[in-house]
Amino acid sequence: MSATLAKGGTDRSVLLILVLPGLLALGVTFVLPLIWLIRASLAPSAFTAITSPDWTVGSYSAVLFDPFYWRVALNTLTLGLTVSAFAVVLSYPIALFLVRTPSRWRGVLTALAVAPLLTSAVVRTYGWMVILGDRGVINGALTSLHLIERPLPLSNNSFGATVALIEIFMPYAILAMLSGFGRLNSALEEAAAMLGANRLRVFTRIILPLSLPGVLTAALLVFVLAISSFVTPRLLGGGRVFVLGTEVYNEATVTLNWPLAAALSVILLVLFSSVIVLYQRALRSLEG
Amino acid sequence: MVDQHVVVQDLVKIYPGAAQPSVNHVNFSLPRGEMLALLGPSGCGKTTILRMIAGLIEPSAGAIRLEGRDVSATPVHKRGLGMVFQAYALFPHMTVAENIAFGLEMRHVPRPERETRVAGALDLVKLTGLGGRKISQLSGGQQQRAAIARSLVIEPALLLLDEPLSNLDAKLRDEMRDEIRDIQARTGVTAIFVTHDQDEALSMADRLAVMSNGKIEQIGTPRDIFDRPATDFVARFIGAGNFFAGTVTGTGIAAVEGLGPIAFVGEAAQGSRIKLMLRPHRVAVGNPGQQGVNQFSGTVEHIVYRGEILSLTVKVGSHLIQSDNLTRAAIIPRKGDTVGLSIAPDDVTIIPGNPQ
Repeated sequence: MSATLAKGGTDRSVLLILVLPGLLALGVTFVLPLIWLIRASLAPSAFTAITSPDWTVGSYSAVLFDPFYWRVALNTLTLGLTVSAFAVVLSYPIALFLVRTPSRWRGVLTALAVAPLLTSAVVRTYGWMVILGDRGVINGALTSLHLIERPLPLSNNSFGATVALIEIFMPYAILAMLSGFGRLNSALEEAAAMLGANRLRVFTRIILPLSLPGVLTAALLVFVLAISSFVTPRLLGGGRVFVLGTEVYNEATVTLNWPLAAALSVILLVLFSSVIVLYQRALRSLEG
Repeated sequence: MVDQHVVVQDLVKIYPGAAQPSVNHVNFSLPRGEMLALLGPSGCGKTTILRMIAGLIEPSAGAIRLEGRDVSATPVHKRGLGMVFQAYALFPHMTVAENIAFGLEMRHVPRPERETRVAGALDLVKLTGLGGRKISQLSGGQQQRAAIARSLVIEPALLLLDEPLSNLDAKLRDEMRDEIRDIQARTGVTAIFVTHDQDEALSMADRLAVMSNGKIEQIGTPRDIFDRPATDFVARFIGAGNFFAGTVTGTGIAAVEGLGPIAFVGEAAQGSRIKLMLRPHRVAVGNPGQQGVNQFSGTVEHIVYRGEILSLTVKVGSHLIQSDNLTRAAIIPRKGDTVGLSIAPDDVTIIPGNPQ
């Protein structure tokens, strides 16, 4: 259909008119702010971020030559990888079950699995603070049972932030996998079984390879969400977890160093884009 | 007695919560090398039987014997049967050769032998040289061939085919029908296939089992099924027919109300009620007013010109009789014309069972 549409000149202008509103919206809400962000990151001083005609790469060199930010970048990467690995591994069986179950409750179960998305990440972070806090559910129970004398360090550290982020992003991982499992098909599993494959072989030779695109999509999505998160690491990290997201927030709202905040944002953006490019390469080689 | 290669004994499948069994005490057997068609309308239980034989569905009762051994408790991956799925179920992430080699790999066949056998299987289904292709690069017919090669390369004790031609367009269907028949004859594999298409069943199978409501109505050669239907269902399901109820008035003569006497060949007790069927293509159209046995005249009510076949619906007495004739350029009756119809007595089929 698109081929016939693209043939005639009038059709092409119709297409252009059709995509115009979307392009305009994207331009105003995405491209312009992005240009401003880059411009702000090149501003010479914190108080002339947008108005000054002068520019400098000072903010970038400040970031790149400060070992603190290198540690922050490493922290961010570690957090992103850990969270995406655990979220994917924990979500995989759930998504697989939801795709394969013949139950007529499948729709309900799927809705339940992604229902946590209905509450905001901030609320769920507070939920995790209640569970993991020093006087929280776990520590409270263990202390009153006299199993421990002092509360376990479950929150105000990267452990708490990681656990909360894993749970918060699992619904996204499940959704991404559900949409990426399109090639799974019970007839393929039956065909493999008829050819002599036991359950393990059916899984390793058929289900796993065919579900890999969904797994990769989920991993990418959670990774991107995790490295850009700042509310959860900030609240559950108790100010002791430094990631790029929290630092951008800090520089922009506490220190009010907008050029530095902008420079950090641009670096984060470059990090995202390279991950996405790598991912697409991987996916293409997977599908051949 | 013939060596029965596959025996299905008293097979029953009742799904939980179902009002009546999907498969209801089914019995049949196949000698080695035979091709059997399970034919019936959708929901008659034919696919359930195939899947129980395959091991994909557990029977509620009954036995499935392969060379005398009951395999109904053997798990699917140890049954060693070949199956061609309706949508082929080729593994999309593997090449054609990898698909065909899969079963051999599961059997730990060493690589050199695997390669020889895969090449042999590709030759068998005329896909020589296409082993390196991806599944998505194959046409529908080629995918069908690859699926057949994959199920035959493991040298299965029995080949099962689920609606093997339903995903192909009309022209390819004829080609693959001959091809499947030919491959089956060359390999000598015993085969069962499921279809709802009577042409497919009649032209491919050595024998047909016609099913309805979970039961086998009749099992026999294509000629048996077509010319000597055992039940009203079989007579109506296979081919078209003109049906009449009559009373036997003499040897080979029955009186049909509103039509007159019809002569038939067969045994029937004097005075008994019988059911008769005339196949439309065996009712010949001719000039009106001819005298003799099974000569009728009537008025043409309806004409359908189908290219090769001219289908007339003729009102004779109080009955409508359909007559199918090969078309010739010269004679085409018009609506309202009076025509004569005739049928040979041995083309009149008696259907057992009481007419309503």
